[in-house]
Amino acid sequence: MADDGRPDAALGLEGVPHTGEAVTPEGLMVEPSAEDFDHARPAPRHPEWYKEAVFYEVLVRAFADSNGDGIGDLRGLADKLDYLSWLGVDCLWLPPFYASPLRDGGYDISDYRAVLPEFGTVEDFVYLLDQAHRRNIRIITDLVLNHTSDAHPWFQASREDPDGPYGDFYVWSDTDQHYTDARIIFTDTETSNWTFDPVRGQFYWHRFFSHQPDLNYDNPAVQDAMLDVLRFWLDLGIDGFRLDAVPYLYEREGSNCENLPETHAFLKRCRKVVDDEYPGRVLLAEANQWPQDVVHYFGEPSTGGDECHMAFHFPLMPRIFMAVRRESRFPISEILAQTPPIPSGCTWGIFLRNHDELTLEMVTDEERDYMWAEYATDPRMKANIGIRRRLAPLLDNDRNQQELFTALLLSLPGSPVLYYGDEIGMGDNIWLGDRDGVRTPMQWTPDRNAGFSRCDPNRIYLPAISDPVYGFQSVNVEAQLNSSSSLLHWTRRMLQVRAKHPAFGLGTFVELGSSNPSVLAYQRRWITPDGNEDLVICVNNMSRFPQPVELDLSDHEGSIPVELTGEVPFPRIGQLPYLLTLPGHGFYWFSIIATESGEAP
Amino acid sequence: MTRLAPTELINELAGPLADWLPKQRWFAGKDREIRAVRPVRATELVGDADPGLVHAVLAVEQDGGGRTGAEDLYQVLVGRTQRLPEHLAGTEIGTVAGETCYSAVHDGDLGTTLLDLIAADRDVAGVRFRPEPDAQLYPGLRSRPAGVEQSNTSLIFGHRYILKLYRRLHPGPSRDLELHRALHRVGCQHIAAPLGSIDCELRGEPVVLGVLQEYLSNAVDGWAMANTSVRDLMAEGDLHADEVGGDFAAEAYRLGEAVAAVHEDLRRALGGEEGDRDRLDAAVDRMHRRLDRVLVAVPELAPYEPALRRAFDAVRSVPLPLRLQQIHGDLHLGQVMRTNTAWVLIDFEGEPAAEVAERSTLRSPLRDIAGMLRSIDYAAHQILVGDEVPHQLEVRAAEWTERNRRAFCDGYAAAGVDPREKATLLRALELDKAVYEVGYEHANRPEWLAVPLAAVARMTAGEECA
Repeated sequence: MADDGRPDAALGLEGVPHTGEAVTPEGLMVEPSAEDFDHARPAPRHPEWYKEAVFYEVLVRAFADSNGDGIGDLRGLADKLDYLSWLGVDCLWLPPFYASPLRDGGYDISDYRAVLPEFGTVEDFVYLLDQAHRRNIRIITDLVLNHTSDAHPWFQASREDPDGPYGDFYVWSDTDQHYTDARIIFTDTETSNWTFDPVRGQFYWHRFFSHQPDLNYDNPAVQDAMLDVLRFWLDLGIDGFRLDAVPYLYEREGSNCENLPETHAFLKRCRKVVDDEYPGRVLLAEANQWPQDVVHYFGEPSTGGDECHMAFHFPLMPRIFMAVRRESRFPISEILAQTPPIPSGCTWGIFLRNHDELTLEMVTDEERDYMWAEYATDPRMKANIGIRRRLAPLLDNDRNQQELFTALLLSLPGSPVLYYGDEIGMGDNIWLGDRDGVRTPMQWTPDRNAGFSRCDPNRIYLPAISDPVYGFQSVNVEAQLNSSSSLLHWTRRMLQVRAKHPAFGLGTFVELGSSNPSVLAYQRRWITPDGNEDLVICVNNMSRFPQPVELDLSDHEGSIPVELTGEVPFPRIGQLPYLLTLPGHGFYWFSIIATESGEAP
Repeated sequence: MTRLAPTELINELAGPLADWLPKQRWFAGKDREIRAVRPVRATELVGDADPGLVHAVLAVEQDGGGRTGAEDLYQVLVGRTQRLPEHLAGTEIGTVAGETCYSAVHDGDLGTTLLDLIAADRDVAGVRFRPEPDAQLYPGLRSRPAGVEQSNTSLIFGHRYILKLYRRLHPGPSRDLELHRALHRVGCQHIAAPLGSIDCELRGEPVVLGVLQEYLSNAVDGWAMANTSVRDLMAEGDLHADEVGGDFAAEAYRLGEAVAAVHEDLRRALGGEEGDRDRLDAAVDRMHRRLDRVLVAVPELAPYEPALRRAFDAVRSVPLPLRLQQIHGDLHLGQVMRTNTAWVLIDFEGEPAAEVAERSTLRSPLRDIAGMLRSIDYAAHQILVGDEVPHQLEVRAAEWTERNRRAFCDGYAAAGVDPREKATLLRALELDKAVYEVGYEHANRPEWLAVPLAAVARMTAGEECA
């Protein structure tokens, strides 16, 4: 901490606009305003775009370095928009790029209105957003509502001056014996949710790391300040926010301090700001909980949902892995059967992998042991309570399984979120600390630093993967662009197929059971506003062995299934159960084309 | 046109029916000549349309084959039409008075009639179609026949209902229906809810003709589930049962919980009693008598006779009281269905080998557990049948059995009483079941004989050492 006591001293943002660069006579900090910057052109109008979108999670740090300092940046990402547009993604999800001491991967935000200098500036972000919108690509980013970094000027002011305008911005207490029913989330580093601050002489409340004090939402000024943070980025043109760690905003004695009614009330306020002032932008809830609990974050069903437009479906992902390992559809069937209906204006976000470990919070202890045994064969692969691996190495680099998993991701109900690099089958580096093993540089070319940066290889933020199987010499975008049979081209084709069928994003989901437990089959159905039916049937073999399956398609008697990747018509559906055979880990997507009156020609 | 009255129609159709019946899988007397087929009753369900529908109960008189009074009752549904659609060509029975008669269970539109009659709570000339008191039925769904079945024919309506039509009829109450109703009354979560029934009177006694139930549209039977796991195990060879991806133990555990819950529900719904020493002795005597019979036919069993008899006799001195109640009676992996949310037990008809009256006597729930444990053993070994089996795979199969038996018992214990607390009785019941299997396999599938024999050998080996 700086000695001069200025609240912005810990930011390291001299020379760029930032919070607390000046203080008004009333003691309020001056914060950057959206009016100080250009605004990006708006994205093309499409109110429920998030229901049909394919999301792509990209770490600014890891994607492309424009200035040769060894760290990816916003301008570098902007340079790669043509690639992302070619691939066919609709929306980028950027983990936090705000000013931060980076003690929690940027989720410890020290200024909501400034960009981390090594990533660029607010102007660079506006440029990226403008260029993305030009290509019909949207961008959302994380917003951490629950807490700030302890370097945030608000916290500095709060600890220095308990009676000042920020004195009540955080949850302070003379004792650490409040809210003892709240669990400790980071059990491997934290022993209490309270930490003593010697400056103020009180304890402060934190649900995560001790350097991340929780904001005090019981203070109306905090609520207003955070709504203004939303407005700042929405004014610049951003398409939405993934709201990080939403269940924990409030604390109440005698509760576990999660999912409290007051938290929902504040989310409704956020939603109202979006609906009234920024229609077409989305809120995505990150609540790592069971679907029947998460569903409350969509809000009131009768209004179509009045909290978040989207929420991640956490338990689905580990169960996809489990189903394939067990060669049984039931881990997936069961979690989908337990997933309640959601309001009409909402959709799930689903994913196979992301920047965090493969989360095992949403599985039972016994299942967690199982997943660890199956997918984390080296102890270093285990992190916190998850598995830190990328998709390809998790699947032993088996192309068939990678395709099956991706096909499931793209066809199960919800908007799919791809993780950067998985489209080329990138590997991981389990010898890097924490979760960095899955955050290595994007592999563009076989050249120096995988084409990610021109810098001296010793300067790069993390070494590019260089092992013989997944190393950038063999696994990179350039090589895969030149090979039409590559995973990259396959992924692109699947996104193109998906984009042609609104049923994937908008349709109902009905499982089509069969007597073969290794085959997961389901129907997606959507009636377009002009009355046309888009009907897709997906059949997936969870087993490594070839499987037969007889499906009851009697509802579609007389129709013809047309396989979607090759447009090949299959035999007409008749009276008898429809027989299909699938190769090991094979899958089919069919469009069901109704024929005149259903009569045989 | 005027049609023949239903009884007349069936009378006229007697000849073709005599040819048609032996070709049906559900027909029990395939090996004996049919002497006569006559209608015991015939009812017109659809009269004024084409196709028409006639419900009939047939008395089929056959050569004795050692049996006296060899007349069995069968239920048939006959469609009649001027023009049989092409897709029903294979279902024709014969032509009478210008109308083609065919097996109506294959006609999805005529199937709808049965559902509609149940939903409407109708009595058609003594054939009573009834919904269950709390059932909310959606009529009008077309039917399709379920896959091949041994002794019944089932029609599936949409993805909602399944109607089991009994073929060979046994006057008297239906244990299957009564147990389903009792379990449903106490809110059992592990059965397919009963939704309706069809019955009539025959020879002064009520007889259940069909049962409508919730259709488990996304379910897989336990046998297929277990096989998926065993297949995975055998393909690896070098991995243990707890190491392969397709581990079944979690499913076996949940299955154990489900069986315990059903036992508890049966006890709540229908009560129970405490078995005394006499009941126990009678049960032990039955085990010995079964062993006597099987030993005559299968000399390979002889080396285990002393150990088997000791195991049976040990039951005579197990501590009382012994809890008796209604049980499933024929529990094995083929009688349980994995749905997307739970394991479900089906077919509460009771032990097929027992006389109908005997099936409803109260029994120890351990009998069901013994049946399931034997079934788990079968699942592990069935893909090894008939081949020269590498020793390693035998070891793997044994590991799989042991792991899943333990998981099943753990699951049962978590929701009820640990069956292993009554180890003496459980072991005797398992051995008794295995002896039955030895007899059955010897008579029907000799290549499978090794499976129960090996189990007898394994289960008596430790005892010999002791």
